[in-house]
Amino acid sequence: MITLKVNGTSYQVSSDPSTPLLWVLRDELGLTGTKYGCGVEICAACTVWIDGSPEKSCDENVGSCAGKSITTIEGLSPLAGGATHPVQLAWIESQVPQCGYCQSGMIMAVAALLKGNKKPTDAQIDSALSNICACGTYPRVRAAIHKMIGV
Amino acid sequence: MNKIVSTDLHAQDISTIQSSAQPAERIAVGRRGFLSAGAAIGGGLMISLVLGKARPAMAAAPTTSTVNAFIVIGTDNAITMITPGGEMGQGINAGLAQVMAEELPVDWTTIKTQQAPFGAQFGRGATHSQVTGGSNSMRGWFPLMLQAGATAREMLLAAARQTYPSAPQPLKAVAGAVQDANGAKLATYGQLAAVASTIALPAAAPILSGPGSYKLIGTSMARPDVKLKVNGSAVFGIDVRLPGMVYAAVRHCPTLGGTVKSVPAAPSGSQVVNLGNAVAVTGANTWQANSRAKSLAVTWNLPTASALTLADSAGLASAAQTLMTSATPAIAEQIGDVTAGMAAATKKLNVTYSVPYLAHACMEVLNCTVSIKKDASGTVTGCEVWAPTQAPDWVAATASKLTGLPLAQVIVNAMFMGGGLGRKIEQDYVTQAIKVGLAVNKPVKLTWFREEDFGRDWFRPSALSRVQVGLDAGGAITAWSNRIVSPSLTRSHGGVPKNGLDGISIGHATALPYANANRLVEYIEQPSAIQIGYWRSVGESISAFVVESVIDECALAAGSDPYQYRRTLLAGNTAALGVLDAAATLAGWGTALPAGQARGIAFSPGFGSLCAIVAQLALTATGTVKVVRISAAVDCGTAVNPGQVVGQMEGAILHGMNAALWQQATFAKGVPAVRNFGSYPMGRMADCPKIDVTIVSQGSTLGGIGEVGVPGVAPALANAYATLTGTRKRSLPLGIVVAPKGES
Repeated sequence: MITLKVNGTSYQVSSDPSTPLLWVLRDELGLTGTKYGCGVEICAACTVWIDGSPEKSCDENVGSCAGKSITTIEGLSPLAGGATHPVQLAWIESQVPQCGYCQSGMIMAVAALLKGNKKPTDAQIDSALSNICACGTYPRVRAAIHKMIGV
Repeated sequence: MNKIVSTDLHAQDISTIQSSAQPAERIAVGRRGFLSAGAAIGGGLMISLVLGKARPAMAAAPTTSTVNAFIVIGTDNAITMITPGGEMGQGINAGLAQVMAEELPVDWTTIKTQQAPFGAQFGRGATHSQVTGGSNSMRGWFPLMLQAGATAREMLLAAARQTYPSAPQPLKAVAGAVQDANGAKLATYGQLAAVASTIALPAAAPILSGPGSYKLIGTSMARPDVKLKVNGSAVFGIDVRLPGMVYAAVRHCPTLGGTVKSVPAAPSGSQVVNLGNAVAVTGANTWQANSRAKSLAVTWNLPTASALTLADSAGLASAAQTLMTSATPAIAEQIGDVTAGMAAATKKLNVTYSVPYLAHACMEVLNCTVSIKKDASGTVTGCEVWAPTQAPDWVAATASKLTGLPLAQVIVNAMFMGGGLGRKIEQDYVTQAIKVGLAVNKPVKLTWFREEDFGRDWFRPSALSRVQVGLDAGGAITAWSNRIVSPSLTRSHGGVPKNGLDGISIGHATALPYANANRLVEYIEQPSAIQIGYWRSVGESISAFVVESVIDECALAAGSDPYQYRRTLLAGNTAALGVLDAAATLAGWGTALPAGQARGIAFSPGFGSLCAIVAQLALTATGTVKVVRISAAVDCGTAVNPGQVVGQMEGAILHGMNAALWQQATFAKGVPAVRNFGSYPMGRMADCPKIDVTIVSQGSTLGGIGEVGVPGVAPALANAYATLTGTRKRSLPLGIVVAPKGES
């Protein structure tokens, strides 16, 4: 058994340790907010935080996550409250999502960026966000970030 | 776990989802035109406004009563709009709800939306179609949504008249409540819902408020689904979880056209299902299922070498050239005398354009969840499907055919799509999931990993297009001839092109808006073993690249400014000029640019709307170019939600840029080369130019908005590049901009 700490709760999972964290989150724990897009660390739809750092969960073996603190989109703010993290509120205000599939990963990446850099430049935003959004929400992602940081 | 409790007497008709991952308040929707609410979160029961009970499921002729399937009002005033369009990002759930809310009327912030399941009462037109494609959802359902809102309003008013017989008349519905003639509030919709549910449907169609008094239509209302999409609670098809469900993954034959020859014994604890051209393997989770599928020692029957030349990029390109010069074309359009027009020309162009096959690359890979019920003798007694689909009615037909159940016994839940782009109209993944469900005797979710999703796409067709144009001394077109060689979408979907023509493959190559008395447009169907399908703007994405590039070549040959040249050829077409001028103005056409920059323009009508795009490019120090800015003008008639119209244009522009600059799907003797994003570049934040969109409002008929922004992007980019460098690019992808970081 592997002990996983996800969104502040401890879980015992019996998955093969080589299983990517992504599939344990989705299929074993029912945390389906984290999305599968490519499985090869290109699209970043599966971005979660591991010990506070944004990581692509499709390429993190669950065995290597034992004892680490994992945050998913469901844990970014209390679900019962709707969505109260500043990035989530900004996303609602600027009506960023279209299909929304990539947005869990996008929001986790943006929230991580803003944790460490209160006022990122456009170049820093571009560099931090490798997420693929096929709907083309990039202009609104940038506009929402600009609004949050007062640019 | 949020268990849905049915409150009506037809529990067997109710589709339910029980899962820890579902949103708390999914409403169970009956198939027969009545609706009922589930248990409220706190355990209280909501009584719904049940309208139009027990309608025949499929055979009924459309009547006004069908509108009543769309609105559910709880005694707690919760209002849910059951919206019929497939939600794949375009905001159609919100848009259609907005139209209903206009007539109801109701406080927008209180409503929820839910996608309609399969059911004739949700369809539009004589066929009760539930298909979302061709940018048809708002156009197709708009009148029905107005009627749905207005009918519910009239029933609530009738309930209020019955409940408050002495209240001063006439009563009025205002923002979720009914008032008397003096403006005093009598009751909320929720308080009236139970009585309203007993009111007979109005005999006559209700009076609509009319465009002059719209309060919601034309306003950028917030989408209810956005809240679910920022906290992970939106349930896409791939997120469906059922009690006792197993996971299945698919592995197709690596070569197109190949079939399963032999399947080894199933790995311990799993089941293997032979799907003809693929195998499915089950597992305790998606990863395990896919790992087993990948390692299974399946042997395959491969097509013959000669058959594989029809699934080979080099072979197909060569065959297209041969067809262009040797095949007898079918005539798509013939006006005037092209030969005479060409003879009168003082300048002639003879140019050939080509575009590649393209994949869809929806962020949500194909998946489908199925629960099959059988009796003790093994006879199928029930089938419920959860699918990210653009066509729940087609899914129902697929399920009926495979299970032998009548349509009325099939339940199809249309889930949020993580992109659709025309791919999720197809039935292959649904067919597979149902076959696996029938075989494994458990609820099953079938998922294609990304490599399968790319490898077995229904690709946007390739095309070769030869255009010959005659110009007179003033630059006017004296003759235009376009011969197109391309596979047929009709044939790829089991049909036969009528008179040798395929309207979707031809796109907007005919009926060009530009002045020209002599026209000939021809089509030659190219045999191809590549599975081709619909794609965001399909044929228009091909024809607009060709036509708008060639018009630019004409302008440059005539020594004219490309924008003014188009203006001259569009003289008298006020609507087209309105859009063209708006894009040019937005882009600052004609104003000075920094050294090393240039603009290109394209006009691209389609899907009942008009669009013009201006691209601005800059040369970089390394000799490649950067897309600096895209400016777009669009006239879609009524912009129901202007903010979402702009969003669709932004998305269409990025989709068009990805395809124009980088993407192509190639095949080597039947083996698809593209299997993941590493070889199919998608733009990121860093690749996205400044995008400006203006909505042109000039009284046009309601048009579509999901696709019209795509076709003009490629020619606008190519035209800017030609002005910038003097080099004309006649083949896609343009390859003029460095692909996104980290990708080939």
